[in-house]
Amino acid sequence: MSCLKQSNLRGFACEQSCLTRSDGSATFNQGETTVLAAVYGPVEVKLSKEHVEKAAVDVIYKPKVGIPGCKEKATEQLIKSTCETVLLVALHPRTAVVIVLQEMQNTGSLLSCCINACCQALMDAGINMRCLVCAVTTTVDQEGHIILDPTSKQEEDGKAVLTFAFDSKTNGVIMTTTSGIYSSQEYQECLLSAQHASAKIFEFYRDSILKKLSRVS
Amino acid sequence: MADVFKKVEPAEYYRRHLTHDARPDGRQLLAFRDVVVSVGTIGTADGSALVRLGGGGTTVVCGVKAELASPRPDTPARGYVVPNVELPALCAATLRPGPPTALAQTLSQAMADLIENSGCVDAGALCVSPGRLVWALHVDAVCLAHNGNLADACAAAVVAALRDTTLPAITIDDETGRVRVDSGRERAPVAASAFPVAASFAKFDNDILFADPTAEEEALATATVTVATLEDGSLCLLHKAGGSAMTEKELQQCVDRAQVRGAELRHLVNKVAASKEC
Amino acid sequence: MAGVEVVSEQGFRTDGRKPNELRRIRCKQGVFSHADGSAYIEQGNTKVLATVYGPHEIRGSRSKALHDRAYVNCQFSMATFSTGERKQRPRGDRKSTEMTMHMKQTFEATILTQLYPRSQIDIFVEVLQADGGNFAACVNAATLALIDAGIPLKDYVCACTVGFVDDVTIVDINHLEETNHIAEFTVAMLPKSEQFVMLEMSSRLHLDHLSKVMDMATKACKDVHLVLDRAVRDHVSEVWQQLGNT
Repeated sequence: MSCLKQSNLRGFACEQSCLTRSDGSATFNQGETTVLAAVYGPVEVKLSKEHVEKAAVDVIYKPKVGIPGCKEKATEQLIKSTCETVLLVALHPRTAVVIVLQEMQNTGSLLSCCINACCQALMDAGINMRCLVCAVTTTVDQEGHIILDPTSKQEEDGKAVLTFAFDSKTNGVIMTTTSGIYSSQEYQECLLSAQHASAKIFEFYRDSILKKLSRVS
Repeated sequence: MADVFKKVEPAEYYRRHLTHDARPDGRQLLAFRDVVVSVGTIGTADGSALVRLGGGGTTVVCGVKAELASPRPDTPARGYVVPNVELPALCAATLRPGPPTALAQTLSQAMADLIENSGCVDAGALCVSPGRLVWALHVDAVCLAHNGNLADACAAAVVAALRDTTLPAITIDDETGRVRVDSGRERAPVAASAFPVAASFAKFDNDILFADPTAEEEALATATVTVATLEDGSLCLLHKAGGSAMTEKELQQCVDRAQVRGAELRHLVNKVAASKEC
Repeated sequence: MAGVEVVSEQGFRTDGRKPNELRRIRCKQGVFSHADGSAYIEQGNTKVLATVYGPHEIRGSRSKALHDRAYVNCQFSMATFSTGERKQRPRGDRKSTEMTMHMKQTFEATILTQLYPRSQIDIFVEVLQADGGNFAACVNAATLALIDAGIPLKDYVCACTVGFVDDVTIVDINHLEETNHIAEFTVAMLPKSEQFVMLEMSSRLHLDHLSKVMDMATKACKDVHLVLDRAVRDHVSEVWQQLGNT
């Protein structure tokens, strides 16, 4: 993997329980990109969304400016199905888990920041999960170099942006979405470097939980 | 008896078939359904295509309508494409009349991504007069029957319709600024050389991989992946929304199969387009 | 008269038809397997697809259930690319809502709804290409789809448009003729009993001409009936053979 250009992720920060009225909440920063996630659940579900055998997961994504459009709806669906995979939805039939995401600032890698914020908020809410999830965005620049956790500028200049979400147990790919044109070899390389980087994020998750718990005790 | 078994234990019904490496409809695991493509089916549209998977199991008709519009301020010399996927209530028994479903919105966005990423429309060629007038292509795909794998069917219909689309020549009178359609001159095609083809796969029981899932298989699947490939073997879309985790090997298997599939479908669409011309 | 002459001096229309000539009707039943009934019809350049679901239990709000008959739910929709100018909304605009209402009333009068109390029958029609006589084509397509679904009807519902211009009655008018401000009739009837189930007129017509126009409409609907009946019989015998019978 000679072509990995920027192998370190930008600095993360995370603050859990930043909202008082929600069951769980977290702000997640990756560099300057900041997303606030709030989780409510399991709560009562609207009849039309009710599932008899599992909890319905509802994701509401609020962009910083403007009203949510088709693109935001697609993002919601993506995050929704990612969260549905890691949550043990079968434990809470006929209920809903509502996740509200507010974009605070976007300087690149927004989608991965959203998913990471979601995971932190779900942990904070104490909802049973099968495993943890973390997401990493990568960019392939014009020369074919891979950049991890790109800034907006790098995303724009690159020829492709690829986002992956991994589970903490098997390190398999739960979610992947891409834009731009890239070769299948580049895809594999991005996947491997993102997978490698995901270990760091999981480590960070562990640290942040440890810190929180030591404060409580 | 088999019907009852299928109703009561759908997953087990599939597992029994899979022990023989076949699916209930007789296909191999990585086999796609037969595709029928016809182009230029809608006379009122500027370009159109109809795609049927598996003898009408999934049917999508796509029509392209070109309208003159003022360009977006950030791209004064480029036209734009507005894709939209519709799932009217007539296409499946489970759908009800009402506002667009989440699936329709996701598909619309996927089509927008596909067109933009692959560059299958030459947005520069849609410009009539920089900063003043450009073509806006409204690409509307209507699903007429839904039996799984709408992503592939929509993608094929959208791309085939765009490749069928031609625009009339436009002349602008410099003095009066009046726009006139020049019917004497030949209509110009809008499609660029890029020809993306999408292929979808479903994962069953967390480890078995299917190609081209039907609606039943989609309901049972633990994850679905869509891969869009281009002629030169590069990828322009790889979409997996949640579901059971996949290894990089499995993803590579999907990509490889999608490449083969892409070549087949490109050949088919080019053949249909050529037979229409002569 | 401004614009194009609808009927030429030689007695031919712009597309070469005689005044009492229908456009070519091509139709096919059972085009989709997922629906209980489906049909596709082409009347000249007007192309319509209809699907029928039901009778099934009431979906959505229970309050729609009728204790003595089935609830007929219709939806008329036109694809955005079906017309010359792009349509902004495929359904939900005033014209589509009106068409939906007319469809519903037409078929409530024809389906033997009292056989299925507390249930619902869905009729969805989609206009893929519009070239005049859209409503008539939709009714014909829906009739075929209902027959395909095996829903009992009083009779075929056959619909046709009739125009009256310069003392000449023309049947099955196309889009070009529609735009020439002629008196336009849309008629849906049960051909066996010669009963009208739907009748709509736009523009102005002297009462003296009415009987002449209605006679022409009746004749046209009976012609449509012949074509539809032929198609249904062909379809049934085809299915019969496929089932292994001779």
